[in-house]
Amino acid sequence: MDGPERVQERQQTRAPEAELIREAQAGSRAAFDALVRQYEQQVLRLALHLTGSEHDAEDIYQEAFLKAFRYIGNFRFECSFYTWIYRIVTNLCLDQLRRKKTRREDQAVVVDHSGDEIDVLASVSDNRSFSNPGKELDRKMLGERIQAALNKLTPRERMVFELKHYQGLRLRTIGEMLNTTEETAKNTLFRATKKLRSQLAGLR
Amino acid sequence: MNCEVAHERIVLGAYGELTDEQVHELERHLATCPECSHERQQVLALQSLAAAHPVVEPDANLVARSRLRLEEALDAVPPKRWYERLAQSIAKNVSSLQSAPVAASLLLIIGGGAGTLAGYEFAQGRLAHVAVRPQVAQIQNAQPLSDATPAEISNISSIARRPNSELIEVRYNQIVPQRIEGSLDDPTIRQLLILASENGSSVGVRDDSVGLLAAECRAGHGCKGEGFRDVLMTALRYDKNEGVRAKALEGLEPYVSEDMRVRDAVLEAVLYDSDPRIRTAAINILEPVEADTSVRQVLSTVANSDHNPHIRNASREILSRAPVIQ
Repeated sequence: MDGPERVQERQQTRAPEAELIREAQAGSRAAFDALVRQYEQQVLRLALHLTGSEHDAEDIYQEAFLKAFRYIGNFRFECSFYTWIYRIVTNLCLDQLRRKKTRREDQAVVVDHSGDEIDVLASVSDNRSFSNPGKELDRKMLGERIQAALNKLTPRERMVFELKHYQGLRLRTIGEMLNTTEETAKNTLFRATKKLRSQLAGLR
Repeated sequence: MNCEVAHERIVLGAYGELTDEQVHELERHLATCPECSHERQQVLALQSLAAAHPVVEPDANLVARSRLRLEEALDAVPPKRWYERLAQSIAKNVSSLQSAPVAASLLLIIGGGAGTLAGYEFAQGRLAHVAVRPQVAQIQNAQPLSDATPAEISNISSIARRPNSELIEVRYNQIVPQRIEGSLDDPTIRQLLILASENGSSVGVRDDSVGLLAAECRAGHGCKGEGFRDVLMTALRYDKNEGVRAKALEGLEPYVSEDMRVRDAVLEAVLYDSDPRIRTAAINILEPVEADTSVRQVLSTVANSDHNPHIRNASREILSRAPVIQ
């Protein structure tokens, strides 16, 4: 998270988190609201990037915090609250990804002006696209290309890549959040990067 | 290091998951293996490519919309039923016991006359042994509030696991709501009203009970020797709510001349009550005993030192009216 955001959130927190959690468990709505404010930005950021839709992100936010509200009594301080919340969110995201998987249209291959397939990965790795106007790729198109490639991953691979690459979490944390081992998370990451590379190299 | 392992290490290295030693090992391998070097180029390219789909900060409107919707949904959630809270507290305590699958049994043994618990289902069919101890003193002719109202658990007093067994014994105390109807002549009702004046769960309850007792005293019904007067004096001295104190004062009014204790309580109110209206009302009640020396002393003090100018004036006025008794 960025520096200024972090400071703002710390200022908003008047009580240490454990106290807030205990109060929320005892039924304090105000305490629960304070917890929501602490995590809502992160939750939305993750859901938004993963689903690409504000509407879907909002739904995930709603479900996640309602679940948290309902089950906060079960939180036993064995892991951090951060991990606990993220576990709820990632599971909801996984469900969402699984639902969407069947409907997604694939645009795996990009074609240039002459109809040849572009090896997007190659062009980026040697900066061709940025120096050669003939094969210039729109930043936006590139973004869409990436999204398409990401959508070809399985929900779990997508999730692990998202948490590792985009959210910067450690593999061990990712394992905890997905209720699996670090080793499994690692292997999932390898599969994801391999798949992405073959996608972006223009192979089908 | 073989190339397969190196490929994995390259990915881990790109994401900062290698130890320093592993990083060094990998660098040594890459220095001599062009294929793996190329592999690393590819991984780095992937990383920079992925940046073309950046993480955006959710805009303020989205956050606000989402939070509003959540607040509405939370407002609609009914409060936890007592057995849900019980389930949670049992689960919490049980989880701190070593391993043991939680096959707890919750069996409610209903003590005779302690109340009824009708028709509820415990989540996931869990049961536990409990001992029920009635919290409220036995009162004859009491009826349980209604069949549909479950009794409230006031606390869990112990949890014990039988050795070598999956059974867990939970002991808890229940508060059983009761009701009773009767007239003000009924000694039980009077007893409960006295309790309520000090012990009411809400200001409203204290207010109602003190109001009833005060009305009885003003009407002269059995205020003597019933302890009602004591109750009103206690309420006047110590109740935190001005409305309750005001009612208590009203109830004591008829007795200010005949009962010294009542007079003292009212004098204390004149001097020390935090609410000026009560101080004023108390001063007015003292009219029949204005001539009394102790009363005049108090009124003098008040005439000089009360913060409230109206009260100072009222006291001075009374002092000037009543003849001084030598």
